[in-house]
Amino acid sequence: MIPIQPILVVLLLSSVGLYFAKFRSKVWDRAIVVSLFAAATLFIMQPELANRLAAVAGVGRGADLFFYITIPGLGFVLLLVLSRIRKLEQQWTQVVRELALVRAEISAGERR
Amino acid sequence: MSDAEIFVIVPLYNEAAVVRETVMPLLKAGYTVVVVDDGSSDGSSKALEGLRLVLLRHAVNLGQGAALETGMTYARRRGAKAVVHFDADGQHDGAQIAEFLGPIRRGETDVVLGSRFLRREDAARTPWLRRVVLHGGIVVSGLFTGMWLTDTHNGFRVLSEKALAEIRLRENGFSHATEILGEIRRRKLRYVEMPAAIRYGAYAKAKGQPFWNSFNILIDLVMEKLFR
Repeated sequence: MIPIQPILVVLLLSSVGLYFAKFRSKVWDRAIVVSLFAAATLFIMQPELANRLAAVAGVGRGADLFFYITIPGLGFVLLLVLSRIRKLEQQWTQVVRELALVRAEISAGERR
Repeated sequence: MSDAEIFVIVPLYNEAAVVRETVMPLLKAGYTVVVVDDGSSDGSSKALEGLRLVLLRHAVNLGQGAALETGMTYARRRGAKAVVHFDADGQHDGAQIAEFLGPIRRGETDVVLGSRFLRREDAARTPWLRRVVLHGGIVVSGLFTGMWLTDTHNGFRVLSEKALAEIRLRENGFSHATEILGEIRRRKLRYVEMPAAIRYGAYAKAKGQPFWNSFNILIDLVMEKLFR
């Protein structure tokens, strides 16, 4: 085992721990995070496996394969985050709207 | 349909200098005026004190589309027979509302859309840079909705009771103008464009929408398509 391997695994484990501690998420999201963690740990501990997969894909090195996968992966994550923000914005709008309508009802009631 | 059953919705954001002047003729005409203060910070609501109108206040600024939908929600709950969208900055002519209501009252259409490009004299009054931006908006709206109109970002429009019941705005910002067109098409509502004179006074020219806002609208439309 080379020194970088346990460091990377500890960093990954910390990220996953932080995710579970700080974010409420659905079972499927949690399953995806755990699967990604397991896959990442496997490739850290067995770098040759990544090289073999890269050779099958015709990419060359394992590092290149991960680089290519990361680009659409990050795009996908960005879209997920944007979608989440949009949903929160809609919920927020609904709250502000109902507050405005209720306030108007109350002040109309007071005037009567 | 009595005038009181017609709700004129005025989205308001930082227009303290002109809003009172804008709504006075609407009140005199006997319409139910619903002003939606979208989190103004210049005391716009205070400028309306003493007037017999409905004032709805957003606790924070959400955008013109959100303000219109708040006013429309109020109108739906109060049994409005038609709603008019009317900008707070004094660009529209309140006297035209009766003209716009004509086809709705006669049951000929569901939506009347104002256009500043139907009459040569109205088009000529539009500053050239705004004309360029608005024509860009016409192309973008056409591509997104399949509806090719002469003016897609005119804030003056009238919706019948049926259109009011069916159209729900989800876009908070200025892209609601394109969203409305999409809804008209999706719900197979009848529509007609009518000439709407826009007053480009010194105040309106100074305030106007910044050019880069068009970019924001485009981004919002793409997001709406992706995540609807």
